[in-house]
Amino acid sequence: MKPPPFSYAAPTTLDEAIGLLTEHSDAEPRVLAGGQSLIPLMNFRLAKPGYLIDLRNVTGLTGIRHEGHVLIIGAMTRMSELERSDEVAMAAPLLAEAVGFIAHTPVRNRGTIGGSLAHADPAAELPAVTLASDAELVAAGPTGSRQIRAAEFFTGPFGTALAPDEILTEIRLPLWHGGHAFVEFSRIHANFAVVGVAALAELNGDRIGRVALAVTGVAPTAIRATAAEHVLAGASADATTAAEAAQAAVEGLSPAADLHASAETRLALARTYLRRGIELATSRARNER
Amino acid sequence: MAPTTCTITVTVNGQPHVAEVEPRRLLVDFLREDLGLPGTHIGCEQGVCGTCTILLNGASIRSCITLAVQADGAEISTVEGLARDGELHPLQDEFAAKQGLQCGYCTPGMLMRACEILAENPDPTPAEVRSAIASNLCRCTGYQFIIEAVISAAARMRATKEVAS
Amino acid sequence: MTTASRPGAPPVRDHSAKRRWVGQSIRRVEDPKFLLGRGGYIADRITPGTLHAAVLRSPHPHARILRIEVAQALAAPGVRAVITGLQAAELCDPMPDFGPDPARHTWRCLAVDKVRYVGEGVAVVVADSRYLAEDALELIEVEYEALPAVVDPERALADGAPLVHEALGSNCAYERTFDFGEVERDFAEADVIITDRLRWHRSGGQPLETVGAIAEYDPGTGSFTIDTNTLSFTSYLFMAANTLKVPANKLDIRPVPAGGSFGSKLFANKPAVIAAMCSRATGRKVAYLEDRVDNISNCDHHGSDRVYNVELAMMRDGTMRGIKIDVVDDYGAYMQFGVGHHGNALAQVVGPYTIGSVRYRVRAALTNKNQQGAYRGFGSEVNNWMLEQMVDKAARELGLDPVATRRKNFIRDFPHFIPTGNVYDSGDYDRVLDKALELADYSRWRAEQKRLREEEGRYIGIGVICAQERSVFSATEFWFWFDEPGAPVTSTPESVTLKVDATGGITAILYSCAFWGNSPETMVAQFVAEEFDCSPYDVSVVYHGSRDGLPATGPGGSRTTVMLAGAVEGAAGKIKEKARRAAAHLLEIAPEDMEWADGGFRVRGDPERRKSLAEIAIMLHLFKHSFPDDMESGLEGSKVFDHPYTTMPSADRKDLGVFYPFMGHACHVPVVEVDIETGAVTFLHYAAVHDCGTLVNPRSLAGHIVGGTAQGIGTALYEEYVYDEDGQLLSSSYLDYLIPSAMEVPEVGIGHVETPSPYTPHGVKGGGEGGRMMAPAAINAAVNDALAPLGVRLTELPMTPERILSALRAAGRAG
Repeated sequence: MKPPPFSYAAPTTLDEAIGLLTEHSDAEPRVLAGGQSLIPLMNFRLAKPGYLIDLRNVTGLTGIRHEGHVLIIGAMTRMSELERSDEVAMAAPLLAEAVGFIAHTPVRNRGTIGGSLAHADPAAELPAVTLASDAELVAAGPTGSRQIRAAEFFTGPFGTALAPDEILTEIRLPLWHGGHAFVEFSRIHANFAVVGVAALAELNGDRIGRVALAVTGVAPTAIRATAAEHVLAGASADATTAAEAAQAAVEGLSPAADLHASAETRLALARTYLRRGIELATSRARNER
Repeated sequence: MAPTTCTITVTVNGQPHVAEVEPRRLLVDFLREDLGLPGTHIGCEQGVCGTCTILLNGASIRSCITLAVQADGAEISTVEGLARDGELHPLQDEFAAKQGLQCGYCTPGMLMRACEILAENPDPTPAEVRSAIASNLCRCTGYQFIIEAVISAAARMRATKEVAS
Repeated sequence: MTTASRPGAPPVRDHSAKRRWVGQSIRRVEDPKFLLGRGGYIADRITPGTLHAAVLRSPHPHARILRIEVAQALAAPGVRAVITGLQAAELCDPMPDFGPDPARHTWRCLAVDKVRYVGEGVAVVVADSRYLAEDALELIEVEYEALPAVVDPERALADGAPLVHEALGSNCAYERTFDFGEVERDFAEADVIITDRLRWHRSGGQPLETVGAIAEYDPGTGSFTIDTNTLSFTSYLFMAANTLKVPANKLDIRPVPAGGSFGSKLFANKPAVIAAMCSRATGRKVAYLEDRVDNISNCDHHGSDRVYNVELAMMRDGTMRGIKIDVVDDYGAYMQFGVGHHGNALAQVVGPYTIGSVRYRVRAALTNKNQQGAYRGFGSEVNNWMLEQMVDKAARELGLDPVATRRKNFIRDFPHFIPTGNVYDSGDYDRVLDKALELADYSRWRAEQKRLREEEGRYIGIGVICAQERSVFSATEFWFWFDEPGAPVTSTPESVTLKVDATGGITAILYSCAFWGNSPETMVAQFVAEEFDCSPYDVSVVYHGSRDGLPATGPGGSRTTVMLAGAVEGAAGKIKEKARRAAAHLLEIAPEDMEWADGGFRVRGDPERRKSLAEIAIMLHLFKHSFPDDMESGLEGSKVFDHPYTTMPSADRKDLGVFYPFMGHACHVPVVEVDIETGAVTFLHYAAVHDCGTLVNPRSLAGHIVGGTAQGIGTALYEEYVYDEDGQLLSSSYLDYLIPSAMEVPEVGIGHVETPSPYTPHGVKGGGEGGRMMAPAAINAAVNDALAPLGVRLTELPMTPERILSALRAAGRAG
C-alpha cells in the first residue's frame, strides 16, 4: 500500500503556500499538515493529490494564545501540544478532554488541530468540540482571511466550507465558564468513535443555564443537538432532564448503518452518551462552584 | 511526469544522513531500505497497528504514515540505536527476561514506544503502562509480559539514574 | 469405551522426575536477534536488484473476467512483466489442494475465467519497486461481468443458489453424517433433549506480519529457490513443485522467521508460487510481499464459519448421554484443507465428558468469500464453544449448577477412548477445575455478582468452561472423510539432526520447522541440554530448507514441542550410542560397562575414568586411526520421528482410529460486566488453568496461553471478516477488522497442572493453541451468565455491541 506519485513543496510562508494552491489548482493540490488522516488515504490510493503542499515549515501557524475571552490556536498546533498545554486545560477543558480520545499518542504527536478539522471525518472528535464551543475557524486565501463559524464549516462527510485555494490558519474558541464533558463510545480503546458527545453546561443555581451539545456518529457530519439544548435550558439539572434531553436529541435522526452499528444501535448509543455527557458536564459545573 | 526528488537531512541513531528521496517515499521504507535499518517493521501501512513506531525528536510516531521528506531536519531513533557497545538497553534485556516477545515483530515498535513512556513517566503503574501501550498491537503475547518487562526496566532505569546522581 | 488394550498404542514410558533443563523458564534462545532489530524476516532479506510484485485484485465477489488490457501497465516506468490469470494458467498448474474434488473446485494462483471473492487476484505486475508495481496496477483495465453472489452458507446450499464452481454442480463440496456409538438408543432413553442453534462467524490469525516470498529461478538447473515465511510440510512439497511444473527435487523452499502465524502461514504457498512464477518469467529474483489489504482479503486462511444445530440428550440428574451435531461450515470459494477442521472437532467432540454417542453431520458450503485455512484451534475451538454452550443451556434448563454438571460427567479413567475412536492419553479434570475455581476466587465472585446486581443494578457474569486441547495431529484426519480416499497417507514426521563438532559443540538442524513466535529453538536447546548436560545457550540451532532436508511437518496442531522432543531424543540416542562405543574403545572397556553422566561417558563403578563428549568428539573427528575400521569419523545423528501413536480408521468409519492422542485440558473462568446500555463487555477478572502434560518452559507456555486468550477475546467480542449481503468485504482493513489492544485484554491469572502423557518424551503434550481454544467458550458463557436474569442468551460470535443490544431489544430489555 504505497502512495501514488505527486509533486511536493514545503513553503516557508503562508502566502507562498496559498500561492502554490492557486498555481497548481489543476493538479488536485492538497495541503499536508500532520498527515495522520491524509497519508493513510494516500496509501490506500483513495486520495491521489497531484501536488502536496507541506505546511511544516510555514511560520505563524502554531501556538496557543488568549485574546480576551477567546482562545486562539494555530492550525498546525500538534494535538500532543494541546494535550500538554496548561492553557488549554484551563481555558478549554472540553478540547483537552476530547484530544485524549483522538487515537493514540503517536498519532497525536503528529496530527494537528487544523488538519483534523479540515479533514472533517464524520466520526472525528474535534468537529464536535468546535460546534459545541461555537468556535470560529479562520481561513486564509488569495484574497485574504475570513472567519467561518463552526456551524457553517462542516458541509458533509469529509467536506468543509474551505475553498480549494484556502488554508485553515487558526481556530478561535470562545471561553466557557461551567462544566464540560467529552464522552464517546468506541469498540476498541482509542479507535474511532461510533458515537461521541461534546457537552458544555453552565448552572444557575440548580438549573441549567447556557448549554451546548454536539454529537458525532448520527449524521453525515457532527451536529448540534439543539432539540436537547432546548429541553435543558432553564431545566433542573437532574437525571430525568438529562434523559429527556437525550431522547429529544435523537428524535428525527436517521443515522447510516455500518458494520459496527445499525441505525437503531447508533440512536441508542447516542441517547446513552448524550445522557452521560450532560450528567457529567452538569456535575462538573456543580463542582466548579 | 518524471519523479522529482528532494534532498533531506536526517540524523538517525546519532548518525547524520543526507539523501535524495521521492516525496512519496514513506519514512519506514526510507529507514529500512535506503538506510539499511530493517529493525522497524511494517504491519498495516495505515497507522493503526503501531508496528512501525519510531521516535522523531523524542516523540513516538508511525513511520508508515509519515513521508521521509517530513522528517527533514529531525532526529530519529530506531531500535537499532538502543543497544550500546554490545550491551542491551534495560528494556531490551527485560523483554528477554520476562519473555515479552514471541514472534518479535511488534517488538521494535513496542520498545521505542516504551522508551517514550518511561521518558515521560519513569515510575508508571502497571495500569498506566497497559493504557500507554494500547497504541501498539501485539498478536502473540496478550500484552501481559510486555507490561511486566516495562515495569522491571523502569525500576532498573530509575536505580541507574539514582546511582548516577 | 474405556479400554486400555487396543492395538497400536506405543509403550508406556517411565518419566524421570529428575530434570535439569526441561521445566525451566529459561530466557528464549531466539530473542537476541529480535530485540536488536535483526530478526531476518522475509522483508528484511531483499537484496538490491530484486524485483517486486503486486497483485491486482477483484472488486467483485463473483464475476466473469471478460477482458484484461495490460498494454499500458507494461509500458509504465520500471515494469518488467505483467501476467494475467489466463497466462498464469499456462505457466503454472493449480495450487496444492487437499480438498474433496480439486478438479472441480480448482484453485489457481490467479483467477482465470472468473473471480469468486472480493480480493481474488486477477493479474500480477513485476516492477523495480513495490511503488512502481502499484502504479502499474492502476493502468490495468479489466472488464467484468458481475454475477449474483452467494454469501450466506445455508442459502448457498439451497436449490437455485448461484454456483461458485459450475463444474461442481453444487455449492455443497462435502456432506456426510457419521454415527459413533448408540445414538438412537441414547436419545430414546434420555429424559430431556436440549436443542440449540449457534453461529460462529469467521475471524483469522491476522499476524502483524503478512506472508511474503522471495523467489529465484535458475535456468541453468531448472530449479527454484524460494525464501518464505510460510511453513511447508516437506514431504508434500511435491504438490507445490507440481504447481510450478518442476520436479520435486528442483524446488527448495527455505523457511525464514515469521512475524506470527497462528495457522495463517501454514502451507500458504500462493505468494511463493506467484513470486516463483514471476521469477521464471523475468529471469530475475522477485519478491512478493503481501500488504495488509492483500492479506485480509486474500490470505486463504480465514477461520471456521459455522452454523450449528445441536441436540444434547440428557438425563434429569445431569448425566450427558449423546449428542447430535449438524454443522454447516462456510468454506468460502475454495477448500484447500478439505474438512480437516472437523477432524479436529471429532478428536475431542465430547469434550471432557463421558458422552457415549455422537452423530456428526457436516456440510461444507462454498460461497463467494476467501477460503478457510488454519486458525489456532483449527476447528476444535469451535466445537469446544458449541459443547460448553450446550452444557450451560442444559444446566439452566434442568435447574442444575453448571459446575456440578460438568464434574458429574468428567472422564476419570485414562487412557480413555471417545466414541469417535480417538484416545485421551491422560488427564485430571477435577484437579484443573478445582485449581481454576480457586485461582478465580469463584465463590467470592458469585457473591459479588449477586451483590452488584441487587445493590447497583449491574450485570456481572462468570463463565466456567472445561474443555480439551488436543495436540499432535496425524495424517489420517486428512482422509478418513472418504470411504475410498485417493491418498490414505499416514506420515506426519518431524526430523532433527544433531551434530557434535570437533570441539564438542552441538548444532541442531531443524527441517522446514518454522519459527513463527513459538519457540522451536528454545525447545530444542532445552531438550538437547537435557540430553547432553550442556547449556541450552551453547546449542546452535539452524534451519534447513526443504530440498536437502529430512521429512518434516512443522508447527501446527500444537505438535512441534512433542515431535521435536521425540526427534531430539532419537538423534541424541544415536550419538550417545556411537559415543559410548568410542569412549569404551578409547578406555578399553566394554561398552555395556559405560554410563552417561555429567556430559560424558564414564566407567560404571570407576567414575574417574571418563571421557567428556568433547574429548570423544575430537577423537572421532580427527583421529580415525584410534578407532576400529567399522567406526566412521564424525559424531552426528538424525532422527525422523514419526507420529508415535496413530491407528487406522475402520472401513465403516464408525471408528476413526487414534489421530490426536495427546490430549491437554483446561478451565477458563472469566468474570465480565456487560453494560446493557451500550453492549460493551469488560473484564473484571480472568483465571486460566491449563494441563499440557510436562512443561518444558512454563513461562513460554504461559505466554502462549495469554496470547491465545487475547485472540479468543478477539474472536468472542471484536474480530470478524464481515461480508455484506452483496459479498463486499466490509472489514477490509485494521480500522474495521478489530484486533484487541492492551486495553481489551485483562491480566490473566495462569495456573498450571501437569498430568504427563504416558507416550511422549518427558510426558510433554502440546499447548500452543490452548488459550484460544478456551476463551471464546468461556467469554460467551460469562456474558450469558450476566444476561440470564434478563432472559437473554447470546448464541452468535462475535458478541458485538450490536448483537448484544439487538438481543436485549428483542427481549424487551434494552437499557
